[in-house]
Amino acid sequence: MATRIIEWIDQRFPLTSFIKHELTDYPTPRNLGYWWNFGFLAGFVLMLQVVTGLFLAFHYKPDAAIAFDSVQHLMRDVNYGWLLRYMHATGASSFFLVIYIHMARTLYYGSYRAPRELMWWTGQVLLLLLMATAFMGYLLPWGQMSFWGATVITNLFRATPFIGDQVVVWLRGDYAVGDDTLTRFFALHYLFPFLIIGAVVIHLVALHSVKSSNPSGIDLADKDNIPLHPYYTSKDFFGLGVFLILYFIVVFFFPHSVLEPANNVPANPLITPDHIVPEWYFLPFYAILRSVPNMVGGVAAMALSVMIFAFMPFLDRSRIPGGGRYRPVYRIMFFLFMLDIAVLGYVGFVPPTNKTIAIGQVATVYYFGSFLLLPLISKVEDKWLFKRGLPAKIKTLIASEEEEKRKRRHR
Amino acid sequence: MNRLFASLLLCGFIIIQAFAAEEKLEDFQVDTSVIAMDRGVDAFMNSCHGCHSLKYVHYRDLASFGIDKERIASWRGDSTLDSAMTSLLSDEAALASFGKVPPDLSMIVRAREGGASYVYSYLTGYYITPDGKTSNHFFPLTRMPDALEISTATDPVKRVEIIEQAHDIVSFLSWAADPHEAERKSLGYYVIGYLIILTVLLYNVKLQVWSRLKS
Ligand code: HEC
Repeated sequence: MATRIIEWIDQRFPLTSFIKHELTDYPTPRNLGYWWNFGFLAGFVLMLQVVTGLFLAFHYKPDAAIAFDSVQHLMRDVNYGWLLRYMHATGASSFFLVIYIHMARTLYYGSYRAPRELMWWTGQVLLLLLMATAFMGYLLPWGQMSFWGATVITNLFRATPFIGDQVVVWLRGDYAVGDDTLTRFFALHYLFPFLIIGAVVIHLVALHSVKSSNPSGIDLADKDNIPLHPYYTSKDFFGLGVFLILYFIVVFFFPHSVLEPANNVPANPLITPDHIVPEWYFLPFYAILRSVPNMVGGVAAMALSVMIFAFMPFLDRSRIPGGGRYRPVYRIMFFLFMLDIAVLGYVGFVPPTNKTIAIGQVATVYYFGSFLLLPLISKVEDKWLFKRGLPAKIKTLIASEEEEKRKRRHR
Repeated sequence: MNRLFASLLLCGFIIIQAFAAEEKLEDFQVDTSVIAMDRGVDAFMNSCHGCHSLKYVHYRDLASFGIDKERIASWRGDSTLDSAMTSLLSDEAALASFGKVPPDLSMIVRAREGGASYVYSYLTGYYITPDGKTSNHFFPLTRMPDALEISTATDPVKRVEIIEQAHDIVSFLSWAADPHEAERKSLGYYVIGYLIILTVLLYNVKLQVWSRLKS
């Protein structure tokens, strides 16, 4: 019976061949480490956010007069409403954590290199969409930090040339953040996940065309590939188990670590909180914003600090695959860059003093310096490594990569 | 010379001020027992409810926590069991007396850095300054009077009583801010336990699947 149903479907829809092509026969490098779990995890967290978000929307009221109350009603009176909200709030932070690790892996192993530039760029679009979604979602509980965070960030759009003031009003739907802002942010917060899903589909179609990169950084011969299912599905599900343990420890035992105390005070346009801090995932960029004394410059620097990742395929001039794995200088740069981001995060978190502003400025210069000097450094490193003599293993890798490129051109 | 002395003094004063503002919070352990809750609600109704509301807490929530219905009836007076624990003090009257509306306390434990420890330290932090004014170690400019009268209590027995009262009130307020905390934690142990077993099994599945590869 089951086979007959599948046959019936297959005559009308490529079900079996799709499963075969994308799952049971889909070739995946056998040498992928656990760092390659995070793409799957990101997809999982996306679904988690969509589902918990849907149920939250059943109870939430996007009206400035009752939004805060409706969240309290959800937390207190709705069955397991607290669980939904803590899962969604922890999910947002987890989403950024997973995405940042996913990006760090891509940077470390040089996975953004040809032929995966489009994956890197769709990923960049996903990051921007995620940031916008999280920012708008943060307004919805209508607490003090929601209100003032949205006020500060929408105000940055005044830096838009010529039409700055109009853009700010257009975003807020009013001269100040208020009821109109809340209602439109709710509508957009519900819309954006679907844009994210669309971008994820493009990301995945591109992936299944170029296939996964791997720690050695080149396309492997067929004998080194194994089917996605059951090998990587089993590995991904184990990784998911570990992720869920950590996630639910936060949800059940430390949910307040992801909710700012000031956000448990209803929004009040007349009282500014002592210290407005964004969520942790925006802190490094916020520090860059504050490091530039002039507002337009600060906004431009912050925008560039997010977008500059897109240039990596052009900035990295090395011919050696595998990124940090075979390139000692690049490896050191990678870890120093991670350290720099941590320093920026700290600077963004503490109230600004002369000392932290100075540290922030040095860290900002270092941040952009690591990108802008990369073409030079990667070239010099490349020359040095070739002169020193590459191990035979890497030489064959490079040769096979050249071969792959040639083949692709002829296809 | 005089000016130097004055500025030194000023510096010293500022340092003391800064020090006072960063007074260390008392460590606070929430007592989640029904008896402590019962005493906490009672003390709250007597000492705080005149000024502060708990608009997100309903009298029936106390009943579902396990507090005696008759006790609740004695607190709520004419209000129904379904009504919120709002105060009778109007905003206008509060503004006239204090220049400020006393904040709703439903979320207060979650709405301050330091949480329950802060609220407890604040309540017990009142003292009499050398020039005879009432002040607070943790909120020097607060407009709230010393509701528990700890600053004027000199009798050690009385002080202990007040401190215990503050303890009960803050335990109650901690529950009010997060009424599902106990349920959350007990459910958490089951969920985490289940996930650990599941993950160990998944790890074994992974090992078994991958063992086919070793050729
Ligand atoms: C006579 C009226 C009055 C009574 C009684 C009273 N309060 Fe207050 N309370 C206030 C006012 C006014 C404020 C606002 C203080 C300010 O912001 O300066 C306040 C503020 C507070 C705050 C917030 C402090 C902060 O960090 O902003 C807490 C917590 C608090 N009260 C707890 C209590 C508790 C617990 C009781 C009962 C023991 C109580 N209050 C009794 C008037 C009162």
